[in-house]
Amino acid sequence: MDIDTPDLMEYFLNFSAAVTGFSRFDLLGTGQASLYFSTIEGIIGGEIFRELLQTFHELYVRANSENDASILTEGITDEILMSGKLGPIASNIIKLWYSATWYQLPDPWREKFGARQNDTSFVVSPYAYPEGLLWQAIGVNPPGAKAPGYASWQYPPSVRLTSPKN
Amino acid sequence: MIIKSVDCQTISNIVYDVVIVGSGVAGAIVAKQLSEQGKTVLILEAGTSEGLTLEGYQNNIETFYGALNKNSNSPYPLNPNALSPTDNTYGYFQEKGVLPLSGSYTRIVGGTTRHWEGKTIRMLPEDFKLRTNYGHGLDWPISYDDLMPYYRKAEYEIGVAGDTEEQKEAGAEFIDGYVLPMKKLPPSFLDGIVRKGIDQIEEVTIGKENPETIKLKLSTFPQGRNSIPHPDYQRPGYTDDQLIKDNFIPEGVASVHPVEYGERCQGNANCVPICPVQAKYDARRTLSTIAFPEKVHLLSQAVATQVDINPENGRVTAINYKQYKNISSSEYTVGTARGRLFVLAANAVENAKLMLASNLPSTSGMMGCNLMDHPYLLSWALLPTTKIAGTLRGPQVTSGLSTFRKGDFRKEQCAFAMSIHNDGWGWSGTGATDILQDAVDKKHKYGAELRNELITRISQQLLLDFMCELPANSSNRVTVDPQYKDQLGNYRPVIHYNVPDYCKKTMAYARKLSLQIFESLGAKDYSHYDKSDPAYFEYENEGYFFRGGNHFAGTHVMGTTKNNSVVDRNLRSWDHENLYLVGGGSMPSIGSSNTTLTLAALSFLASEQMLRDLKA
Ligand SMILES: Cc1cc2nc3c(=O)[nH]c(=O)nc-3n(C[C@H](O)[C@H](O)[C@H](O)COP(=O)(O)OP(=O)(O)OC[C@H]3O[C@@H](n4cnc5c(N)ncnc54)[C@H](O)[C@@H]3O)c2cc1C
Ligand code: SF4
Repeated sequence: MDIDTPDLMEYFLNFSAAVTGFSRFDLLGTGQASLYFSTIEGIIGGEIFRELLQTFHELYVRANSENDASILTEGITDEILMSGKLGPIASNIIKLWYSATWYQLPDPWREKFGARQNDTSFVVSPYAYPEGLLWQAIGVNPPGAKAPGYASWQYPPSVRLTSPKN
Repeated sequence: MIIKSVDCQTISNIVYDVVIVGSGVAGAIVAKQLSEQGKTVLILEAGTSEGLTLEGYQNNIETFYGALNKNSNSPYPLNPNALSPTDNTYGYFQEKGVLPLSGSYTRIVGGTTRHWEGKTIRMLPEDFKLRTNYGHGLDWPISYDDLMPYYRKAEYEIGVAGDTEEQKEAGAEFIDGYVLPMKKLPPSFLDGIVRKGIDQIEEVTIGKENPETIKLKLSTFPQGRNSIPHPDYQRPGYTDDQLIKDNFIPEGVASVHPVEYGERCQGNANCVPICPVQAKYDARRTLSTIAFPEKVHLLSQAVATQVDINPENGRVTAINYKQYKNISSSEYTVGTARGRLFVLAANAVENAKLMLASNLPSTSGMMGCNLMDHPYLLSWALLPTTKIAGTLRGPQVTSGLSTFRKGDFRKEQCAFAMSIHNDGWGWSGTGATDILQDAVDKKHKYGAELRNELITRISQQLLLDFMCELPANSSNRVTVDPQYKDQLGNYRPVIHYNVPDYCKKTMAYARKLSLQIFESLGAKDYSHYDKSDPAYFEYENEGYFFRGGNHFAGTHVMGTTKNNSVVDRNLRSWDHENLYLVGGGSMPSIGSSNTTLTLAALSFLASEQMLRDLKA
């Protein structure tokens, strides 16, 4: 392995944890990280994917060294989510983790940065579907999988609202 | 043991006692009843049969997991040789208006119960005399009492879980000592929240000319899914009112093959379109518990296309079919099935279509007419976040209001039943993943804020559906037209359909009632009836849309004479003495009950007459 190659998978996991609101532990627990990584790379290409991860990584490093979380939160919004180029990709990565679905990038993006051949809406793999974080986020089983058990539905749900500052 | 799959060659040499078109619940019950009395049976099935094996069933689940659009037919591969309507997605129905029938069914072995929700509600005694009692629609030639013994057989076959006392309160009658085979499914946590709001309203009035006061009370719905067997259950005996003590064991649950035949409901929240643990009844369960499976032959991928008759006496001589090789090619061979009796069990739309395609409109001319369904009004809101409701858990529906199923108001406006959807807003067109997309793409939410947003906008969803009775009307109908055919050259159903003011009035009433319920719950109404929706309509200056109920009925209605109906009280064709048309098509009214339990009961009733015919 080339020691000068940034560990993009590491960046990807840190980025994913920041934007999904789930820990790296949760993300790795889905077993889908490398499938998602290669799916994204396969669709948008290595160059732009690297740009996104590098942008994030720089924010991440700065926030850590200056011990200022707002660098990261503001940076994610201003430099990534609001960016015409990186924003739609970041949104797609969130949705991918949440629903195992790659959604076709929006038309304006495709016009400006070039339509990619594999950029269609699809579920990346049947067995990724039950691993979607959406279901965990709202405290339910993925419809049609991981059944919670007879009569479980009569009890209060396990989720609650958290204060966003936590 | 599984029924025997055969090929065209085998069947060309056999004259069966009975030839059945369709392996759905109606056809499967007839096959089971007749084969158990020693009769030889052939089932022609338009769809594929891989779902009969566990492996095939798992494939269907996998197809569902991988489907982008998880609609009601998403577990089953698209089959252009025997298309299934799917809420107008694939354009199978040729809809001529005024309003769309929409809805879906599944042409695959086991039929539409493969993706049904599983509510199994009896009709009420007064529903059988809709014309006499309320001046709408049609009367049945038989009464609730006549059907009672067969309801019990259907409840045994399907394995119904429910509370008999609650059903009595709703107006259904039961013989003394009878309880449903399994205990009711527990109401959801969401039901509990809604109950509080409903209890505060207490009562409402309905009807203008003779206003009636109705007490609101939530109750559970009987369902065809495995719960806990009722210790007091007694199964139907050998004479009409006989009951025999029975330790009801739901198929599979306690057996050595639970994965193959079904476990107890585990709250997978996916009853439509596929239950991963087969806790929900589907007609494969009837097919796989036939006592003498060697008596029943199944020819799958065989689309019945033409009923041949002897013009001199009207008797059916054969049914012709096209058998295709596989779903990705339109190549087919033609064949003929011969028998002593013939039974069409292809569902209300397909039965009528097949008869009309065979140029057999019946003496009354009513073949295909009186098409019925339950139009549903939906109303949806978000509950306050003071208590997290946890929507999207449990069977799709556990409780609702059955208090508007009966009453004199039915002279002015139709009866209805209300359901609380544990599965959230999905049916309105906004599913959980739509909320996700909106939150991420439009509101740029991420991280912890995104998670909160999802809880606020999904876990608090409340959708109420109001299933409205639609009386028979001869201008609502299925027809055929040579312009509209599928790739095998078979007709696609042409549909004329409208919803009368009699129902619209109830939908408007239901909408107001829902707002009252939302208000007492502190819930915020989010219902939006878009003008561009094909099922949009206006009533007294307010706009609404409805959703198709998938409860197709009435197209070969039963009656007292050959001039007022297509089949007699035993579902036998007036014109063709060795032909039966089973399924919802024979029902002259549908009340405020999902149709399957009643059509299953009718299949038991018709099977008895078939056995008498075969003896003669
Ligand atoms: C989403 C959904 C939810 C539902 N929920 C409920 C519910 O909660 N409660 C309830 O009571 N009902 C419900 N229903 C309705 C229920 O599924 C039907 O009433 C029931 O399945 C009808 O049974 P059937 O045997 O008459 O017809 P089907 O189940 O439709 O079976 C007909 C069979 O005939 C075959 N066939 C069709 N044409 C041909 C041909 N030309 N040649 C050979 N074979 C042919 C088909 O492939 C199929 O196997 C629901 C339906 C849907 C779509
Ligand atoms: S709730 Fe789940 S386990 Fe129960 S019937 Fe529905 S899909 Fe099956």
